[in-house]
Amino acid sequence: MKDFDLVRLKDELGERGILISFSGPFSHSIIEELGKVVRNHLENTRLSRTAMMDVFAVYVEQAQNVGNYLRHWEQEPSGERIASSGIVVIARDGERYVVSSGNLMVQIDVAPLVVYLEQLRALDKAGLKALHKQKLRQPLSEAGGGGLGLIEMARKATMPLQYALTTVDAGVFFTLRVVI
Amino acid sequence: MDKLIIEATRSSPAIAFDAETSWLQIRGESYPENAAAFYAPVFAWLKEFLAEHDPAATVQVDLEILYLNSSSTKVMLNLFDLLDQVAQDGAPVVVNWRYDPDNETILECGQDLSEELEALTFNLVERPQELS
Repeated sequence: MKDFDLVRLKDELGERGILISFSGPFSHSIIEELGKVVRNHLENTRLSRTAMMDVFAVYVEQAQNVGNYLRHWEQEPSGERIASSGIVVIARDGERYVVSSGNLMVQIDVAPLVVYLEQLRALDKAGLKALHKQKLRQPLSEAGGGGLGLIEMARKATMPLQYALTTVDAGVFFTLRVVI
Repeated sequence: MDKLIIEATRSSPAIAFDAETSWLQIRGESYPENAAAFYAPVFAWLKEFLAEHDPAATVQVDLEILYLNSSSTKVMLNLFDLLDQVAQDGAPVVVNWRYDPDNETILECGQDLSEELEALTFNLVERPQELS
């Protein structure tokens, strides 16, 4: 039991302001259920409806992005570690809400993502709206992704999107942090 | 032509399209697992309807969307594009985008979509506040 200290884990979640955290298989029904939990929680706060829906929207986009990436690896013989690497966390930081997510990625997918994130980080609200308009017309990918999710997160965020890359044995762990 | 009726789920809206009255309604939230797959039957119905539609009759589209994820937003624009095409050919098409005044995100989403459309009439309609 020494390595299974739930009291310590729970204390740490509390200290970090973590309200909801999920790590495990990202099925669509899990995304729906967690979404309900997020909404129920936020409805009991004094948050405006717009802010509440923005937190919910950022959560859905992140969870679906992670889910889509992981699902792609489920079928691959070497993809098991990636397919089970997803996490999404919703935390409170003073007056702000922070929605974060993470998953393992293969190196080859990292560079284009970083280029795209840096492009988004350099844009102001007007620039993000213009890029959104441009991407709105591009067709959906086979996986169902539209390349719009990150722009929508950036438009709802109160500061530029933050990300981190951590090299681990199995590849690169990508973390995205969005402050609303 | 049969009506198209799709019941709402937690992540997909209720759809009620009636060819006889040319009244198309979408209500609820939209973040299905795969937006293209969910809306495929909606597109199929709409294409058939618009091909047979009497161009003198007004098509009325009422939307009461609480949340649209990014891929649903794309699909919704494709849907409006079909309607905009028949409007460009002279058929009257009226879209009513109903939003809660305390949900600015949905108003903004309606504005973003309306900017992409040329010929159809796109109304942003504020829903009355619910009494609490």
